[in-house]
Amino acid sequence: MPVARPLTLKQRHGQFLGSIAVAFAVVLLWQIVSGLLFVVPAPARTVAVLASNLTDPDYLVDARETALAVATAFVIGTLLGGLVGLVLGLVKPVRLATEPLIVALNGVPKIVLYPILLPIFQLGGSKIVMGVLFCLFPVLINVAAGVRHIPDVYWKLARSVQASWLQTLVHIILPAIRRPLLTGLRLAVSLAVVGVVLSEFFATRYGLGRVVLQTYGHGDYPEMVATILLLIVVSFTISMLLWRWEKKVQ
Amino acid sequence: MRTAAMAHQSKEPVTVPETTPTGTAAAAPAMSPRRRRRLGDATFSGIATTILVALLAVLCEIGPRAGWWGEEVLPSTSSIVASAADLLGQPQFWGDAARTSLEIGLSIVFGSVLGLLLGLVFWKLPTVGRIFEPYLVSFYAVPMVLFYPLAIVVVGINASSVVILATIMATIPVALNTTVGLNGIRPVYLKLARSLQCSPRQLLTSIALPAAAPFIVAGLRLGVVYALIGSIAMEFVTAQAGLGYRIRYLYEIFDNQTMFAYIFVVLVVSMILTALLVAVEKLLVKGRTQ
Repeated sequence: MPVARPLTLKQRHGQFLGSIAVAFAVVLLWQIVSGLLFVVPAPARTVAVLASNLTDPDYLVDARETALAVATAFVIGTLLGGLVGLVLGLVKPVRLATEPLIVALNGVPKIVLYPILLPIFQLGGSKIVMGVLFCLFPVLINVAAGVRHIPDVYWKLARSVQASWLQTLVHIILPAIRRPLLTGLRLAVSLAVVGVVLSEFFATRYGLGRVVLQTYGHGDYPEMVATILLLIVVSFTISMLLWRWEKKVQ
Repeated sequence: MRTAAMAHQSKEPVTVPETTPTGTAAAAPAMSPRRRRRLGDATFSGIATTILVALLAVLCEIGPRAGWWGEEVLPSTSSIVASAADLLGQPQFWGDAARTSLEIGLSIVFGSVLGLLLGLVFWKLPTVGRIFEPYLVSFYAVPMVLFYPLAIVVVGINASSVVILATIMATIPVALNTTVGLNGIRPVYLKLARSLQCSPRQLLTSIALPAAAPFIVAGLRLGVVYALIGSIAMEFVTAQAGLGYRIRYLYEIFDNQTMFAYIFVVLVVSMILTALLVAVEKLLVKGRTQ
């Protein structure tokens, strides 16, 4: 978000306090709703369930499985997206040839491909592939756009100092595209979480997505809400930190 | 060059239409080389995309026939297209399509209205905008899907739980983009409005919204895409009808043939929709800047 002028200290304090106030208001609202609807557990109860879950070894197996799948999907997705984006940004014919398809594929609900992935990658691999499919596109599109908009002077500089390919990548390209790259990475984190968890909703042996759907089936709502809360809070925190970094880089 | 020069020199009216360059020569100055190159790029893109799609179709046709992969992994292109065509004659398909379209349509309408209103509020009250900004940016649409199990517990397994979450997903990009667009209006426009003594409504409809239009249109496009992706993803998790739900159901009853047809239709329709939206956006933004 382009902010016209840097915020004053007072404004920044105001923003911080205001954001905290919003969080409090949401928790308060949740408390009120939980009093009205018996299916919604109270915030305190949910946090207590979450705390006891996090010391339960069985739960941790699921949590580790999901975290590992998300991390793998994120690493593969961003590397693949970065690489393809780099090629698309540098080689115009390739970009022209594939751009319409990439744009169109980005608007597709990729989760419907899950039944196709299952027989190929099995239960463990399919959710990682789905996570990769989810988080690939923002990185790819942002890197391609970023590389395209690198000023000519930068390339001339690289040539005049006779930088090797790797040096050009590390010292010229990456610093030049750091902002769009960070935006892509921020979107990729939460998309990787969503891709993996949605896949786990569908079919898997272990994972937090399975926990959510199983507790839903059993009507164990505090457990379900606690797991959803964990997933949301973790992906929220990571993208918030990346967003702050992104703003600093500007 | 020579023919054109000669045409100019000759006074006979008959020769003018006969010298071929004249017709195009008159149009050429209006069409700058850059524009012509862009047209060339677009043609190249179109042809290359057609070839890529055709290659993919051929590959998927040959694959199962040559035994590279089994029919149950991915049937041949022709059989998928045939069963997709079959699907178009089935009332159940149209029922599912109607349900999904209703959900997406409602989410788009609610999301756009809500997003525009929020964008206006965040623009008029910058403090409020700054307070909500971290939440909007971090919740950037998609993780909303994770709330779906909670939504069906509270609202029930029906269209409204999908519509509620898909509306939120569509609202966020519209609100963010509207805010960015409005905050980016050049101050001189607002000064102009003040010196012309525009009413608040005139300021909004004649100055602010048109000036922010490229951002707003981009936000609306994202809103449509997120409503579509979100609705189908949530149906896929669980529902009682809809295209996403049907794919899951068909998977569970091992009706692969119909399932692939449904997946094919969903992919094709959403790809066409996305491409159309991009084209419309380009047209709108281009029309504005020229």
